[in-house]
Amino acid sequence: MLEMTGISKSFFGVKVLDDVSFSIDPGEVHALLGENGAGKSTLMNILAGVYTVDAGHVVFRGKPLENTTVRLAESAGIAFVHQELNLFNDLRVYENIFLRKEIIKYFGILSKKEMIARSRELLSQLGVDIQPTAMVSELEPGKKQLLEIAKALHAKAELFILDEPTTSLNTTEIEMLFDIVRRLKAQGKSFIFISHKMQEVFAISDRYTVLRNGQLIQSGNIADVTPMEVARLMVGQQYSEQGAYHERELGETVLELKNLSGEGFRNVSFQVRRGEVVGFTGLKGAGISEMMRTVFGVLPIKNGELYLFGKPVNRHNVRRAMQSRLSMIAANRKENSIIPDFSLLENFYISEHRLSSMRPLIRLRKESVRYRSHRDALSIKANSPFDMITSLSGGNQQKVIIARWLNTQADILLLDNPTQGIDVGSKAEIYRLIQDLASSGKTILVSTLEIQEIQKVADRCVVFYHGSIHSILKRHEITEERVVLSATNAIKSSEVLDQHDQSSRSAG
Amino acid sequence: MTKAVEARDKQPRSFSRVLGNYSFILIFVAILIAYLFINAGATTWNGVMNILRHSTVVGIIAFGMGLAIITGGIDLSVGSMIALIGGFSVEVFNATNSPVLTLLFALAAGFVFGSINGLLIGKVKMPPFIVTLATMMIFRSIAQYYLRSMVRKSIYNMDGTLGSYDAFYGFGQSKLFDLVPMVGVILILVTALMVFLSTSTKYGRTIYAVGSNERAALLAGINVEGVRVSVYTITGVLCGLAAFIWLAMNGAVDPATLGRSNEMYAIAAVVIGGVSMSGGKGKLLGILFGAMSYTIIDKIIASMGFDALINDTIKGSILLVAVFIQSMIPALRKKLRRD
Repeated sequence: MLEMTGISKSFFGVKVLDDVSFSIDPGEVHALLGENGAGKSTLMNILAGVYTVDAGHVVFRGKPLENTTVRLAESAGIAFVHQELNLFNDLRVYENIFLRKEIIKYFGILSKKEMIARSRELLSQLGVDIQPTAMVSELEPGKKQLLEIAKALHAKAELFILDEPTTSLNTTEIEMLFDIVRRLKAQGKSFIFISHKMQEVFAISDRYTVLRNGQLIQSGNIADVTPMEVARLMVGQQYSEQGAYHERELGETVLELKNLSGEGFRNVSFQVRRGEVVGFTGLKGAGISEMMRTVFGVLPIKNGELYLFGKPVNRHNVRRAMQSRLSMIAANRKENSIIPDFSLLENFYISEHRLSSMRPLIRLRKESVRYRSHRDALSIKANSPFDMITSLSGGNQQKVIIARWLNTQADILLLDNPTQGIDVGSKAEIYRLIQDLASSGKTILVSTLEIQEIQKVADRCVVFYHGSIHSILKRHEITEERVVLSATNAIKSSEVLDQHDQSSRSAG
Repeated sequence: MTKAVEARDKQPRSFSRVLGNYSFILIFVAILIAYLFINAGATTWNGVMNILRHSTVVGIIAFGMGLAIITGGIDLSVGSMIALIGGFSVEVFNATNSPVLTLLFALAAGFVFGSINGLLIGKVKMPPFIVTLATMMIFRSIAQYYLRSMVRKSIYNMDGTLGSYDAFYGFGQSKLFDLVPMVGVILILVTALMVFLSTSTKYGRTIYAVGSNERAALLAGINVEGVRVSVYTITGVLCGLAAFIWLAMNGAVDPATLGRSNEMYAIAAVVIGGVSMSGGKGKLLGILFGAMSYTIIDKIIASMGFDALINDTIKGSILLVAVFIQSMIPALRKKLRRD
């Protein structure tokens, strides 16, 4: 269906793609893998008509398609579903589907009825439960993703490029997405699937292609490789998945929630000890982000008590939380962490300034020295502290944000989905960092939707369901199955314990 | 992709980048040369110094406007605020015969009016455009109503018979070392202070952070509400200072005309100075040059004997050209790189 051969592309004299070939058959799901900066996006942008090629050929359904335009690529049947979705939030679902392809009655008046009816038909064909007249802004992220696909399908797309489609989806929504992919696959449609999540890659793909530094590393059938092998291909040098976790001695209780309630969660109680790493997981919207924001003083406490280092917290706000040596790396780095017009150094220092506002002047030299020590400790890959933060890869940006909070001398770190949109290599580095920090006496609460991440680093795992704690699992109890069952409330919290009793009994 | 971006940033400060950051100087120099050329023989030291002197009032309020714009907001009430504070300051002076008390009153009034804007925008979270549009109407209306119904005169006039009138009015006409107008010196001091505040203090950094990404600023621990309130309060205080200077220079306030359209000239000065209207970016130093560029245009029109009504046509065109140059530079830079 698609044949790309010998594709090369340079930006400002830097070779971003070097003689890359890539092909897809009808009815195939092809995983395109590589770290950030490997050239995946550039290759896809060439296919979608955003960039032109320096050399090489693109043939799509028997016709040459290199150096095309976005419009022509679209009408040829290529649909690029971007990570940041291209939907209009203030329009209705059917208006988005029929955008630029509106059905007109007479005198240029839109035939809403027909468009709504056809949208309903299209969505039900896909088995998607979305009202055609709903506002897009009111849809959950998962539904938006499915709507993008429906829209592309309506535009008669044959090849779908899905760029990290599952980043903002929960487990059920991912299953729905994969169902639709399988269904369309059976109709002969093809998919290019870009993802950093190995599990999903192996669940859905038929073939894979690994890019590294703009070069084709390997291509083949997914059945012939293991996730470990693929990860090694992506990273290049030695890649070790295990070995992050090691036993540590835990100190006194530093954080305690007693029946704490706030926006989006209620009656949450747990204790965390110094040096402990506690993983939090649950479906999207289970209330973990809200709980973390409330502990950090961003959202108000509605009920219950919060103790920091043994002392009750009253009149909570972000500044007081920071003064109590608490810190939070918020989910969704681009929206909630990065100051895009600031340099690395400015992004790094912004929070410390809040604590030292009694000394109002900025001392650049002292700040650069401090930045350098953090840069080395966290191995942030950057040229100059005065470069803009947006020039870094996602993983390095996140490390700057972590450094921002370590620089405030924080003892307790709340990490809300810290590995979102980060490549495999940087992910591994962040796990290692979490372990190192815990060993040096920092206390870490980390939330993630990926259970494997928790298995790698956490001493305990708190599973949320619908705004409350469903169960708290000890390290040896954290299994994928048990976490998923708890997070979906498929078993009662008491059953988790029963199961544990049984398994320990049978083991003993 | 990331690679390409990194490579671009590795490049040393190129000529075109400096040009992009300091295009306001280019525009200023071009206009200044045009003025000197047109004025040819008639150019005197005093003539050039008058540019500085006549830029003072708009220049000072433009710095407040610059702060508001960097946080992603705007302050449309500055012109009306000068009329109101100026008018009331005349009454305070006539009642007390004290320039010092008049100055303190002007600054305090600016603080109060500015914090009203600030609280409505920062705490109540109303849109800056609407809040300051409303206070723009309110402030000028109060200034005019009070004059008509209480003072019962056609303009607010400082009492020339008072003992310290000469000292006050004389201050507005005086020159430092017989060379530089005193009010121009104040403008330069304000410029230095604002540039220092915005580049070298932690507070200045928070103003940019709020304009660049408000949510991230909040989650990084910045008191976003406080920054907003303070920015509009500073703008108010600067308006108080500008009103006082206007009194020293002119001795009277006509609330119907004083400061009218000044908010627009201030915005234009900020934009010519290279501050981004979307917030988070830009240097305050440019505002001084932006304000002076506009004053020179006044002078050019006067010396060429044109009708003053053509003024805004030329000012508007200059604004378009300035923004055009600024928006062309990134594309131009890209082109140079590619070749």
